[in-house]
Amino acid sequence: MMEYDNMMDSDFKEDFGPKIQVSAADRYHVDFELSNVDISLANSLRRVMHAEVPTIAIDLVEIEVNTSVLADEFISHRLGLIPLNSSEIDNLSYSRDCDCEQNCERCSVTLTLHAKCTGDEVMKVYARDLVVGFNRPNSEIGNPVITDPDGLGSLICKLRKGQELKLSCIAKKGIAKEHAKWSPTSAIGFEYDPHNKLHHLDLWYEQDAEAEWPKSKYADVEEPPAEGQPFDYDAVPSRFYFEVEGIGNIQSDAIILEGVKELQRKLAGLIHGLGESEGMNGEYDGPRSPDGMDTGAGYLEQGYSTPYGNPGAASAWGGGATAYGTTPYGNSGSNGWS
Amino acid sequence: MPGRTKTRDDAPEEVDTSMDDAPTSAQQPAEEENGDAMQEDEEEGEEDPFEEEEEPQRVRILPGSSETAASFEFLKEGHTLGNALRYIIMKNPDVEFCAYAIPHPSEDKMNLRIQTYDTTTAAAALAKGLQDLEDLCDVVADEFWTQREKFEATPEQVRKRQEEAERRQAAQAS
Ligand SMILES: [Zn+2]
Repeated sequence: MMEYDNMMDSDFKEDFGPKIQVSAADRYHVDFELSNVDISLANSLRRVMHAEVPTIAIDLVEIEVNTSVLADEFISHRLGLIPLNSSEIDNLSYSRDCDCEQNCERCSVTLTLHAKCTGDEVMKVYARDLVVGFNRPNSEIGNPVITDPDGLGSLICKLRKGQELKLSCIAKKGIAKEHAKWSPTSAIGFEYDPHNKLHHLDLWYEQDAEAEWPKSKYADVEEPPAEGQPFDYDAVPSRFYFEVEGIGNIQSDAIILEGVKELQRKLAGLIHGLGESEGMNGEYDGPRSPDGMDTGAGYLEQGYSTPYGNPGAASAWGGGATAYGTTPYGNSGSNGWS
Repeated sequence: MPGRTKTRDDAPEEVDTSMDDAPTSAQQPAEEENGDAMQEDEEEGEEDPFEEEEEPQRVRILPGSSETAASFEFLKEGHTLGNALRYIIMKNPDVEFCAYAIPHPSEDKMNLRIQTYDTTTAAAALAKGLQDLEDLCDVVADEFWTQREKFEATPEQVRKRQEEAERRQAAQAS
């Protein structure tokens, strides 16, 4: 409990509380070590950066002319995957939360594309050919991310002589949990315990795992286990090595800060919700002994497990006789608490 | 589902499991009078005029809870919140037990069980957990920003930036 008391102190002592050490950083990458935190928090940060940091991406495409060899849907999909600059995304609202009917300048950015091949050479249409509409929260948001030295951006399609592509796109704010095109990252490296002291990994080997497996780049940062050192059952991971790799729609450090912010937004929403509905319409149906929890079946009868976890019922899916009864869900002994 | 092997006429309807036999969702719809949710879905168009359209509540206490031992059901939350919240609530010395579960992968719900000592209530422990986690996030964000700036100020980074600027200048000149 020491750690708890200290952690909750408003001013953090040197040795307590989360620590971060940045080992490499540029526009697209941040490598850092997060230490003195529990794995649950580190993993939540990883998850939230991966799936819930909002960005902007093309979501609706209206095709006026498409005489290219690619189908409309195919091109629409490619357009969706083009990373768009998402700076100051907070100033853009989600379309679903907006007051407008369909979409407006407060919740979307319009991009148009018109290309026609007139020469004999095959024409390549690139992301830079997208024309971004004027009405937007700032002059950067919605711009296609262009990183190549020639300033072309992603290739959208190729046109032969006489072929034409004319379309308009509506880019909206979203998160990668809904569609990966909204992801701010291409990958997040997440590593801990480079010497596998905790045995969270079971390494496959022919003769000797130590000799056959390559060492992690973080292996020399942590002390290797001493010869014949007994397994420590109380050990928990506390140093986490992150390698955040952005794709340019959000600055790499902003991914981390926005990730934390998103986590806090979740919490703030729940705190607000709890405060609003004092009591949470829960009917306390009398005091109940915590021991009542031990009988898994009784707990399930309360009706708040999965539909499969119905040990006694004679329904078509219930009982142990059917194939369903043997699934991990239908096991009345395990109730899935972790 | 196996492909249809009989013609439409041959297929006896009894082969299909009747919807009435299917187990209803274990999650009882709040304030539902006739508890059969499946049945309700079939009667389309029949809307209760007295039923109000309300913003679905994000958190509710599941039945069978007491002051010091309660299960909370979170809508639209998952492991991201669940595990971190479980951890921070367990850190509270007034809490005896805390665990989370996602009862079914296709239901966007997360359950959190809290059992406290007599010194506090489960609801209070939850509220404190949410607040503590938010504070912890603040610290992580601050720490990251400090360290990021610190990294940017290292001599090596300063030199790198200088080289970059020179390169850009040279490119512009040519
Ligand atoms: Zn709008």
